[in-house]
Amino acid sequence: MNDSGAAERRIDSHIPFTRSLTFRQAAVTLLIVALLGLLGGVVELGADWRSMRAEIQENTLRSLELVRGSASQAAFQFNDDLAAQVVDGLFAHREMESVVLRDNFGGVLTRRDREDTPPAGAVVSRLFGDITDYSVDLRYGAVPEASTDVGALEVTLAAGEIGARFTDRGLVIFVVGLIKAVVISALVVLIFYFMITRPLIGLHTAITRIDPVRPGDWPRPRFPRHERDELGQIVSSLDHLMQAFQQGLEQRDRARDENMRLGAELDVSRRIQHILLPSRDELDAIEGLDIATHMEPAQEVGGDYYDILSHDEGVRIGIGDVTGHGLESGVVMLMTQSAVRTLLTSREQDMVRVMDVINTTIYNNVQRMGCGKNLTLALLDYRRALEGSEPGVRGHINISGQHETVIIARRDGSMEVIDTDELGFPIGLVEEMAHFVGQISTDLHEGDVVVLYTDGITEAADEQNRLYGQDRLLEVIARHRDESAESIKDTIINDVKRHMGNQILYDDLTLVILKQK
Amino acid sequence: MNSLSGEGYVVELDADRDTVRMAGALRLGGLSEYGPISQMLESALDGRSHLTIDLTGLEFLNSSGIATLSKFVISARNRNECALLIRGSNDIAWQGKSLNNLKRLMPALELQFD
Repeated sequence: MNDSGAAERRIDSHIPFTRSLTFRQAAVTLLIVALLGLLGGVVELGADWRSMRAEIQENTLRSLELVRGSASQAAFQFNDDLAAQVVDGLFAHREMESVVLRDNFGGVLTRRDREDTPPAGAVVSRLFGDITDYSVDLRYGAVPEASTDVGALEVTLAAGEIGARFTDRGLVIFVVGLIKAVVISALVVLIFYFMITRPLIGLHTAITRIDPVRPGDWPRPRFPRHERDELGQIVSSLDHLMQAFQQGLEQRDRARDENMRLGAELDVSRRIQHILLPSRDELDAIEGLDIATHMEPAQEVGGDYYDILSHDEGVRIGIGDVTGHGLESGVVMLMTQSAVRTLLTSREQDMVRVMDVINTTIYNNVQRMGCGKNLTLALLDYRRALEGSEPGVRGHINISGQHETVIIARRDGSMEVIDTDELGFPIGLVEEMAHFVGQISTDLHEGDVVVLYTDGITEAADEQNRLYGQDRLLEVIARHRDESAESIKDTIINDVKRHMGNQILYDDLTLVILKQK
Repeated sequence: MNSLSGEGYVVELDADRDTVRMAGALRLGGLSEYGPISQMLESALDGRSHLTIDLTGLEFLNSSGIATLSKFVISARNRNECALLIRGSNDIAWQGKSLNNLKRLMPALELQFD
C-alpha cells in the first residue's frame, strides 16, 4: 500500500458555500421566521384594522355627540356664527373631509370641505369606505320627549387620510417584523453554528483525513463540553469503529504475513525433503538389488527420511521419521542424512558406534533448537554374498535402529516381520543410547523382497478413521512379491490411496522396496 | 493439590496418593514450555519412596513432551531413591512404543497398561 493510493481514495472534501450546512441552515431559518413574521404581521394588521375602525367610529360619534347641543342651538336659532364655530371645531380634525350643518328645511347652514385630502385607493375604500359617513339628527327642546327636529349634522371622513395612517402602521409592523426575522435567524444560525455546525465541520474534516490504510490513527477531534452529548458519542463511536477497523486490518495483515511465511516454509520443507533423495540413476547403478522408492509429503510436510547410499562394500539404506511437521522436522531430517553419510564416508563399520554418534549429534542440535524433536531411524547394511557362501544366498542385510517393522517376503512364500523396537532408541531423545542398539542379520536369496516404510503407510486412515494397518500391507506384499520392486511399490501405494479415498494426507508416505536379484 | 493446566490439558500432583496425573492433549511448543511440568515432576520425586505417573487420560503428547518425560525418567533412575510406576492405556496409540522406551531407560520402572 502506498500513501498516494490512499490519498486518491479520500473523499473530496470541498463543499460549495451555497451547499454548506451553515448557508442552508441560515436560509431555511430566515425563510421560516420571515414567513411566520409575515403571518404574525398580517394577523396584527387585521387586529389593528378592526381596532382602528372601532376607534374612528367611536371618536367620530363622541365628537359629534359633544357638539350636538351647540349644533342644535345653532340650527334652531339659525345662528350662523355658532354654526361656524361648531363646524370649524369638528373640521379641525385632519381626517374630516367635509362637515355639513343643515337646518330642518334642507338648507345648509355651514359647510366645510377639505380640498387637499389624498385620494383613497380601492383597497382603502374597501377597508374603510363603509365608515366614512356619519349623520346626527339635531333636536331642540327642554325635554327630549318634547323636542323638535331642527336639522342634521353630517360629517364625511377622508378615507385617504385614514388609509395613509393605516399604511404607516402597517409599514412599521412589516419593518419591525423583518428586523425581528433577521435577528432571530442570525441568533439561531450563530447558536447552531457554535453548538453543532462547527463541531460537525470539524468532524467532517477529521473524517476526510482518515487514512484508509491506518484508520486507527485518524485525527480524532476534541469537542470541549460535548463529551457527554450526541456529538461526543458520535466521536467515540467513530473512534471505536476506527480502532476496530485498525485491528481488523492488522489481523488481516498478520494472517497474510503468517500465511505467506507458512507457505514459504512449506515450500522450503518440501524442497528439503526431496533435495537429497537418491536419483533413479544412482539406484539403477546398484548391483544385486532391484530398488523402488516412494516419498510423498503430507499437506503439512512431515519429516520422513530415507536414503540409499552405495559404497565399496555394499549399500547402506536408511529410513526414519522425525516427529512433527514443518521446517524444523525437515532440518532434523537433513542433519540425520548428513550424519549418516558422514559416518559412511569415515568408514565406520560398527553400527552401535554409528547409531551413538548420530544420536549424540542430533541430540545436541535438537537441544540447541529447543524443539525436543526426535526420530525413529533404522539403518540396513546390505552386502552382496561372497563367492563360496551358502548356496542360494545372494546377499546379507544387517538391521539396526528403532523404527517401524521391517518386512521380508521370502521367495519360498514365508513372510517375516522384524520388530525393530529393541534394536535402538529414538534418535535425539536422550543423550546416551548406545547400550540400546541391537542388530539383526539375515541372508537374502534371489527374489526375496525387503519392505521398509514409515507410519504414514500403516496409519493412513479412511473416512471412518480405520487405519490401513500392517496386516493389509503384508497381504499386498505377499500377493505381489513376484513382481518387480517398482510394481510392488506402485501396487502398495495405489492400495493405500484407495483405502484413504478422499481423505487428506496427514502424514508423509514413504516406502522403500528392495528386491534381491 | 498442586496443578498446572492449559488449553486442553491438566497436570496435577495428588500428594495423598503419590500420583502425578497428566490428562488431555499436551502440545506445548518446545522444551522450554515444558519447564513447569518438568519441575513439577522433579519435585514430586522429592521425599517419596514411590510415585505413580498416571497417563491413562493423556490422549496426545508431542515429541517435546516425550523428551521431557524421558528426561524425568532418567533423572528418577539416576536419583535411585523413588520407585516409579507409569500407568498407560492400551487404547492410546502413542503410548505403546513410547512407554516401552521409558521402561528401557529405567528397567526398574513399573509399566501398567489399563
